[in-house]
Amino acid sequence: MRRWKVLAVTAAAALLATACGSGGGSSGSTSGPVTLTIWENYGTEQNATALKNLAKAFEKLHKNVTVNVVSQPADNYFALLQAAAVSKTGPDLAVMWTGLFTLQYKEFLANLKGKIPAADLARIDPNALKWTSDQFNAANGPYVIPLENQFYIGFYNKAAFAKAGVTAVPADWSQLFSACKKLKAAGYTPLTYGNGGQPLGAEFYPWYDMSYMMIGAHQVTDWQQLYSGQIPWTSAANEAQLSTWAKLKSEGCTNSDVLTKTNNLGDFETGKAAMMVDGTWDTQKFTSALGSKVAAFVPPFSDTPIKGVVDFAGDGLSMTSYSQHQHQALQFLEFMTTPQAAQIVNAAGLIPAITGTSTSNPVNQQMLNFVSADHLTVYPMLDNVVQPDVVNTGSKVLPSVLNGSISPKSALSSMQTTFGQLPSSQRGSTYP
Amino acid sequence: MAADSRTASPGAAPAAGKAPRKRALRARRRSRVGLIFGIMTLIAVVMLYPFWYMLDNAFRTQSQFEQQRGNSAVSWGQLFSELPAGRELFNSTLICVVSILLILAVSTTAGFAFAKLRYRGSSTVFLAVVAALMVPLQSIIIPEYVNLGKLGLINTYLGAILVYVALGTPFATFLMATYYRGISDDLIEAAVMDGLGYERTFLRIALPLSWPAIATVTVLQFIQIWDDLLVGLLFLQNPQQRTITVGLAALSAGRTTSIPVLMAGSFLSAVPAIVVYLIFQRYLVRGLTLGMGK
Amino acid sequence: MSVSQAASRLARGTSPGQPARPGRSRLARRRRRAGILLSLPAVIVVLALLGIPIGQAVYYSMTNWNGLTAQWIGPSTYSTALSDPVLWRVLENNALLLLAIPFAIGIPLAIAALLNEHVRGWRFFRSVYFLPTAVSWVVIGMVAVQFFALNGLMNKMLAAAGLGRFQTDMLAGQRSALIALAITFIWSMLGTNTIIFLTGMATLDPTLLEAARVDGLNRRQVFFRVTLPLLKRFVQFSFVITVISAFSALFSLIFVMTNGGPGFGTTTLEFFVYQSAFSLGQFGTGALYGIILFVIMIVVGLVQLRLIRTEDGEGW
Repeated sequence: MRRWKVLAVTAAAALLATACGSGGGSSGSTSGPVTLTIWENYGTEQNATALKNLAKAFEKLHKNVTVNVVSQPADNYFALLQAAAVSKTGPDLAVMWTGLFTLQYKEFLANLKGKIPAADLARIDPNALKWTSDQFNAANGPYVIPLENQFYIGFYNKAAFAKAGVTAVPADWSQLFSACKKLKAAGYTPLTYGNGGQPLGAEFYPWYDMSYMMIGAHQVTDWQQLYSGQIPWTSAANEAQLSTWAKLKSEGCTNSDVLTKTNNLGDFETGKAAMMVDGTWDTQKFTSALGSKVAAFVPPFSDTPIKGVVDFAGDGLSMTSYSQHQHQALQFLEFMTTPQAAQIVNAAGLIPAITGTSTSNPVNQQMLNFVSADHLTVYPMLDNVVQPDVVNTGSKVLPSVLNGSISPKSALSSMQTTFGQLPSSQRGSTYP
Repeated sequence: MAADSRTASPGAAPAAGKAPRKRALRARRRSRVGLIFGIMTLIAVVMLYPFWYMLDNAFRTQSQFEQQRGNSAVSWGQLFSELPAGRELFNSTLICVVSILLILAVSTTAGFAFAKLRYRGSSTVFLAVVAALMVPLQSIIIPEYVNLGKLGLINTYLGAILVYVALGTPFATFLMATYYRGISDDLIEAAVMDGLGYERTFLRIALPLSWPAIATVTVLQFIQIWDDLLVGLLFLQNPQQRTITVGLAALSAGRTTSIPVLMAGSFLSAVPAIVVYLIFQRYLVRGLTLGMGK
Repeated sequence: MSVSQAASRLARGTSPGQPARPGRSRLARRRRRAGILLSLPAVIVVLALLGIPIGQAVYYSMTNWNGLTAQWIGPSTYSTALSDPVLWRVLENNALLLLAIPFAIGIPLAIAALLNEHVRGWRFFRSVYFLPTAVSWVVIGMVAVQFFALNGLMNKMLAAAGLGRFQTDMLAGQRSALIALAITFIWSMLGTNTIIFLTGMATLDPTLLEAARVDGLNRRQVFFRVTLPLLKRFVQFSFVITVISAFSALFSLIFVMTNGGPGFGTTTLEFFVYQSAFSLGQFGTGALYGIILFVIMIVVGLVQLRLIRTEDGEGW
């Protein structure tokens, strides 16, 4: 009898502990100490550093606010965000990708028009802000405050080029292939691929490469037709680009485990690999590891000299519509538009999106020079301006094209099929 | 039959003239034993290899891991700084213990009722409860999430616990019912005749007799709950409430480029379940035997 | 009908000759009340947390619910889903995984037979063989990724055995990733099934085996013609457990190893449910796939039950 009583009491105590010890995201009170929760999917990128430092600086300015930055698994970040929106247990602020990603999730994001003073919004680079609004028109009010300006870009190792006798940076497909041959002969992995880098899944993310392939195939004004379907995914130009891309692996330009290599960044940082396609979120990693040996170049995925570069504010922070601490969350977003915040972003090796500020990282500056000095056309990130369903299909099939497991034709027709299944509202001639 | 088996058993002492044959027999038997032992050791190596791999690489830095040489304890420190590993271990333990207590409470009572206290329709009810075994987690996870979300139980221990209890009850009830079936009816009836109510009989007579089955349920459910990913991922969204298994998966999905840290975390999360298993393994065999029915 | 008979026989207990008491006597009434009282918690738990959600899943499966708003569509969602080639690709993956079942059962049988010889130290080996079962799929998956990597142990072993030209990046191909998944699955089921079979062998009457030996059968014949048929119930139990695991327990493994890829190569139905609902925000479609999964499980379960019953005419 006594044993039973003890067991019952223990069980009751444990139950009580669970009921009380729930914790949960933010605390309830509006006056007094407040905890802001921010979810991010940055993994180990520089963006994570930037956000962490922004949080710390914000806490210093607002003594009664604690900022809790939570790193969520990147593979299923948006899945979790959606689930959390259903149960309204999500964060106050969340990292959100711009372009059509934002519009896909805007149901639970707060439109910041009128909530953030126009003076603050005016400080943001207008090219960055427009992609965060309905119809990509900033007058409709942004859903996202961009964190930084990003580039999808190529990085190369100058010392490796010199050693292999590559004198000019390749500007088109044929120059790229011949550079690869020289680099391979000198003992380097010419172009390294893998699933390290931007933490997005168990395979590598094909949209940096895909963006540049589409830059090589189409003018920037024609990209809208990829969205509306006037240029089908299965067009000859696209197929040709993909075929040449697949040759990168088949002709030995890359490592053989393109889909599963986990430390492709490591290989580039230690100088084993000569080139890599990545983005500004890793620039500082490379400059820290390689110093002046690393430089930026535009991935030359084109038959004629490549003339465009992907320069786009790809992500930022949004406020959730169900946040219990809208006042403090908005204060944080406003803080992101200040020069002090721009400095923090710059110190993490990123390019701030605030007009009048710039980057102090020389390799980032090279990228900006591609636009300002070399007058390359500015393109957005392709995955941010294409329907999310098509992006999903592309993420699934395009890696296999590089791996040589499926043909460009079948990959593109999968994407075309997905496009065909979209409701007409998502296939219009203008963006939603 | 007995006489035959005696003469048929190998190694039995035969007449002296058969000594060389007996020696040959024994030699063959020894080599056979050696062969079996060898195969079993090989299998053990295959089974144990991942543990060795985890432990070996957990004591390396990332660069040492790539070269497969060298040792360092750095990764363990990194693990605790990237994950609130201590907190998550505590969460796992708390959730496991409470869930198992609830499962046991619910399944022992129901198991006894279905085995001994039949009432009209109880066999159908029993069948329904056991059939719930077939319900895959994925089929109910979405409505479950929404329901518990409406009750405000997301990001609470209680929410996850309720789901685990629901998932573990059918099998546990089945196991307990099978076990109680083996207790003689007369024992129960005698106790009732002596003036104990059926409920008291359950508590003081049946329950204490069923420790092997209880131990079995405990081990199996502990492994199931400790190692679960999906429920923890969805119902416990913050690292502060997460279990260690989910924290580990989040770490690997966050593309930490340090494999040794992942290995250290893996080993850390594997140990408690192994410990529980080793403690209870005696009962596990007995419980499974009874579960199969003879 | 017959299934519930089996269950009621179980519920009634082993003692023969127990007459069904009329509901009139006081003792019977107390027994009935106690029975209802004691079984109530389990029933409530199952009903509230399993039964109701299944019903809701059926409802949601016929809407286009995205988690926030729902619009009724009707049973046509099923015909739409069933004509989606991706679903059939996913089901094909499930079917291919079934091919791993014979290995997941056959190998443990052999191991259990070895253990049953009771060679010195067999108890130690028995403990060791069950260890992988205690470990989370998450952990197993992470080690497996390292094992199958291009510079991982598998390829190193192939090279050492002179089979270097078979070296491959298993997780990069759609079919080969599924094979890698199946191998990992088999490896982790070895422990559970070995214990089940070992337990079964321990319940066998040794005199039967001796008699068979006396009748002149050699060891292998004894195993296949005497031991195995006697273990039938255990093999069936293990079959059910293994199939259930293959269909509903691999989520963590897939999540960590391949996230369903490459392409749809390792997306099984259970992973597809999660992906549709949470990755793509199509909760209605996800619920639909969940119902399909549930129906498949029921069919498997019923087939099992029918097999068991026709064999020896008794319930579990």
